[in-house]
Amino acid sequence: MRRAALVTIFVAGITLGPGVRPSNVAAQSAAVPLALDGEASARPWHRYHEWPQRDSAKFNTLAMLASPPAPTQPRKVAGSVAGNSALGAKLAADRSRGGSCLACHVMGPAGDADLPGNLGPDLSQIGNAGLGDETLFNFVYDARVYNADTLMPPWGTHGIFDDQEIGHLVAFLKTLKAPAPFKSDLDDPAKRPPPVENRDNLDSMLNPAMWAVDDKAPALWTEAGPKGAACASCHRDPARAFKTWAAGMPRWEPRLEKVMGIEEFVTRHARATTGHAWPIESAENGALAVYLRFLANGSTIAVDQESAPAKAAYARGEALAHRKVGQLNFACLDCHDAGRGAGKWIRGQWLAQLRGALDHYPTWRTSLQATWDVRKRFQWCQVAVWADELPPDAKEYGDLELYVTAQSNGLKLNVPGIRH
Amino acid sequence: MAEKPRIKVPKEAKKGEVVEIKTLLAHPMESGLRKDDAGALVPRKIINRFTCEFNGALAFACELEPAIAANPYFQFTVRLEESGTFRFTWIDDDGTAIMADETITVA
Repeated sequence: MRRAALVTIFVAGITLGPGVRPSNVAAQSAAVPLALDGEASARPWHRYHEWPQRDSAKFNTLAMLASPPAPTQPRKVAGSVAGNSALGAKLAADRSRGGSCLACHVMGPAGDADLPGNLGPDLSQIGNAGLGDETLFNFVYDARVYNADTLMPPWGTHGIFDDQEIGHLVAFLKTLKAPAPFKSDLDDPAKRPPPVENRDNLDSMLNPAMWAVDDKAPALWTEAGPKGAACASCHRDPARAFKTWAAGMPRWEPRLEKVMGIEEFVTRHARATTGHAWPIESAENGALAVYLRFLANGSTIAVDQESAPAKAAYARGEALAHRKVGQLNFACLDCHDAGRGAGKWIRGQWLAQLRGALDHYPTWRTSLQATWDVRKRFQWCQVAVWADELPPDAKEYGDLELYVTAQSNGLKLNVPGIRH
Repeated sequence: MAEKPRIKVPKEAKKGEVVEIKTLLAHPMESGLRKDDAGALVPRKIINRFTCEFNGALAFACELEPAIAANPYFQFTVRLEESGTFRFTWIDDDGTAIMADETITVA
């Protein structure tokens, strides 16, 4: 029954002819045909095979609370902690254990002072601070007992280091008594220059993500689907029709009762109209997601955050951005809030703030030779903090995308970008 | 599926002018040194030679090695004395030759 109704609306849309303006169509969301049944991405969701596979089921995700509670009292340590400082130095630089201490701390000579990060304080002279073994032990085991707002992963509570290993780390910390011997300014996170990206991102010789705009999306646009129609059957002049549309996405979709991004829109709209199966993270979906935003390049990003459902979604997205997730226990805003991690370094990786984070997405990733859309970027952030990611069309990602994109309201779309 | 090469050649040039040519071919340039999920080596498959001929005469050529990144991009210059046609050829390890032509008017 519903399908028949959708087809009727679809036909009515055609009769309106080329004068239909996309912004009006978007505003009348109930009139846009969408297949409301089923999912917009693969189920069950399986992590991309080239990504690290871990069991993070015991820790928070954006959809579920599971992490063990924070302790309320420091653990008692009688006398001094037994530990071997040489083993501690090795553990501090071990990148297989949550990125190593050096990911966030300058630690004197540890790791040859090679590209340490500065999300946490410089510990190069922590051995002079007069902290007792119990204090040092608890800072590593679970620093939340001293500072509820700490960014430090609870290495002990979350089972990444055991008591003996933390003992070695404490022994090593006590040996740190002199400033780090940086070999160059690049090694010093306080002097390391932030990355600059100033290539012409719309030159397809420089940016392979532009190939979606040059060939792939235009070819898909005219390709008839199983229902006989193509995108071009209704949208004959996409450059005019979608001149601003993408700048208002994502938005609340009452029929789905979730925030819908462009990728999910492409999936559900195609399913309802042309019959194409273009799920999120398929090559076709990716090409159209780039193209539809490209057409709106130069438009001012203006995500709705005023209507009642959008306001509620924004609030949920903001709460999710504050939620600690994963075994490493990071929230989005720990790293990307201008007042916290943004502008600092995790090893050699510079942390961007939320404003401007999505104005160029989907973006070409030079380090991966791949185009990533917003949702894949969200998924990777979670895998990087050792949390289970959600399927790309998860409603939580919708709320988060609305919140994060709204931070860029007033900036201009510039898609596809180029980033490391 | 090989993608269409991307080529930038000016439409026109003056006699004796040095023109800049840019080419880019989408290709994974599989080095032959990577392992797949099962631990087996992924066979080498790269573009091993690129040539540019102008009116049948070789204008530019080079050999490519496995360390060259995906999507090989070339930018080079050619001095032109006459109108004619560039023929660009990429030779794949599997023996395939990918070819494309571009014409230019020299006045």
